[in-house]
Amino acid sequence: MKIIGENIHIISKAVNDAVKERNPKPIQELALAQAKAGADYIDVNVGPARKNPENVSWLVDVIQQVTELPLSIDTMNPGAMENGLKLCKKRPLLNSASGRTDSKVNMLPLAVKYKCDVVISVLVDTGCPPDVEGRSESIMNTVALANEQGIPNEDIWVDPIILPVSGDQVQVGLCLEFVKILQDLLPGVKGTVGLSNVSNGTPEHLRPILNRTYMVMLEKCGMYSAIADPLDQELMAINRGERPHIVKIIHRVMDGEDVDLNSLTPEERDYAKTAKVLKGDILYSHAWLEV
Amino acid sequence: MEYKAPVETYTGKVAEVVIGKGSKAVKVGGESVLPLHTFEGTIPNPPKIALQTLDAAPPASWTQWVLEPYGDAVKDPVAWAKKAVEYGADLVAITLDSTDPAGANAPADAAAVVVKKVNDAVSVPLIVYGTGDEKKDVEVLVKVAEVCSGEVLLLGPVLKENYEPIAQAALAHGHNLIAQTPLDINLLKELNIKLAKFFPPNRIVIDPLSSPLGYGMEYSFSLMERTKQTGVIFKDAMTQMPIIANLALETCKTKEAKADKKQGILWELMAAVSLLLAGANIIVVQYPDTLKALKGLMAGKV
Repeated sequence: MKIIGENIHIISKAVNDAVKERNPKPIQELALAQAKAGADYIDVNVGPARKNPENVSWLVDVIQQVTELPLSIDTMNPGAMENGLKLCKKRPLLNSASGRTDSKVNMLPLAVKYKCDVVISVLVDTGCPPDVEGRSESIMNTVALANEQGIPNEDIWVDPIILPVSGDQVQVGLCLEFVKILQDLLPGVKGTVGLSNVSNGTPEHLRPILNRTYMVMLEKCGMYSAIADPLDQELMAINRGERPHIVKIIHRVMDGEDVDLNSLTPEERDYAKTAKVLKGDILYSHAWLEV
Repeated sequence: MEYKAPVETYTGKVAEVVIGKGSKAVKVGGESVLPLHTFEGTIPNPPKIALQTLDAAPPASWTQWVLEPYGDAVKDPVAWAKKAVEYGADLVAITLDSTDPAGANAPADAAAVVVKKVNDAVSVPLIVYGTGDEKKDVEVLVKVAEVCSGEVLLLGPVLKENYEPIAQAALAHGHNLIAQTPLDINLLKELNIKLAKFFPPNRIVIDPLSSPLGYGMEYSFSLMERTKQTGVIFKDAMTQMPIIANLALETCKTKEAKADKKQGILWELMAAVSLLLAGANIIVVQYPDTLKALKGLMAGKV
């Protein structure tokens, strides 16, 4: 799976401080660390960027001084988006457009103008559609609009929107179902997800195993990429195919096999339990690894 | 063509919890069907109705009409509890209101002595509720557990923040526990997992928090329903404990109950019937007429 490094995010205090002080060092260190860890893209997340839409220009500039990786410009503000896109040396990723009215009007034309790849999420004006049908309807409509403007399916990365397992467990399973049918709905599209959101709200030390397991599950359903933490070495090792025993156990759970937990190593057992929770076979609780 | 009812069979079973010892022991839970689905299997222990009493005379701020049926008995916790049994309570739920740090802040020892006296005087088992103050409840409930050692009380609430010392005391002295979490099935399951590491699951009763009509009852309802389904249909052992719906204090303080007696009784009854349908195994109410109406509704059907 292609990994879009998530660590340059305006919500992070270190990033926010560096941006305010125009101190390139922490930003460049983060960019380099992610590149070294094997990220395929660097996400530049400036959030809504209401006050300082020029911050993104500075960020893009200092990041491109140290890495040649392509960038994913991540903001809801069309002005900031354009500021970022126009400075990118490699073909960037516009992250993101959606089925929301303002996004359709303001973001899709930017993707055309800068000939870039574009993430299109299933969000609509009323929020995230609650089921597979709603997600399908939303994405079909927005992609049709994008196609009319000259953006081919191959340049579109569909984001099904991941919700936290601790908040709405049912949505986690539905998201997988949607990913499975994506190629039938829109042949040739790519896909991406905000992977770490699945573990939002879960105690900090338990988040990595949820992220890693869900990545494997999404990949089995056909997911192309994820915005994730490349500094999680285990996640990257799994993604490089270096942990086949873990991938295998997750696949067995997904295939509905009645896995005998006692036959597994403690590590495999944790991944099996996590896969069962993410699939929806077992009710989530923060103590899911303790039973 | 002959009609054939679509009867389901389930593989999960609600745990059976025994409250009280000897001849006054009462069993709750134990069913392997969804709430009141008598057409799909047996419900060995029909839902139990408890009346709430206090360990001291109620403060003047209380809705006064709910106390009328008890007259002067409310001044004496033993007399109050005895009266509740006369009105038909399957269990007496004594709330240790006097220990509230924001109120009289009575010491744990005094409250424990009252509980012991009441327990010795009545012919039904006791449910003992602290005030929900996470620190004071540890002192109070641990003391109650000691003083009433071996009486098999149902003690609570234990919370995520204070379950350990209270559960250790309940374990040592042979009591059951009420595990309370704030209207969230994931937290409910987590607390049961933590408790079950050292406390027998068949001595735990779930209190998911119950809200009356107009104050969030739909949340209590869907949570209880989902807890039962997860336990009975999906066999999740950590949601198979019986459920207690404690409505007494919650309905009494609504403005609807304060405004009008008849309306107040109906308010409590509507909430109680709804939560009975949602799967409560024990319902705690305040007003004796509510209990009477609930028992009338269930008579011959469960």
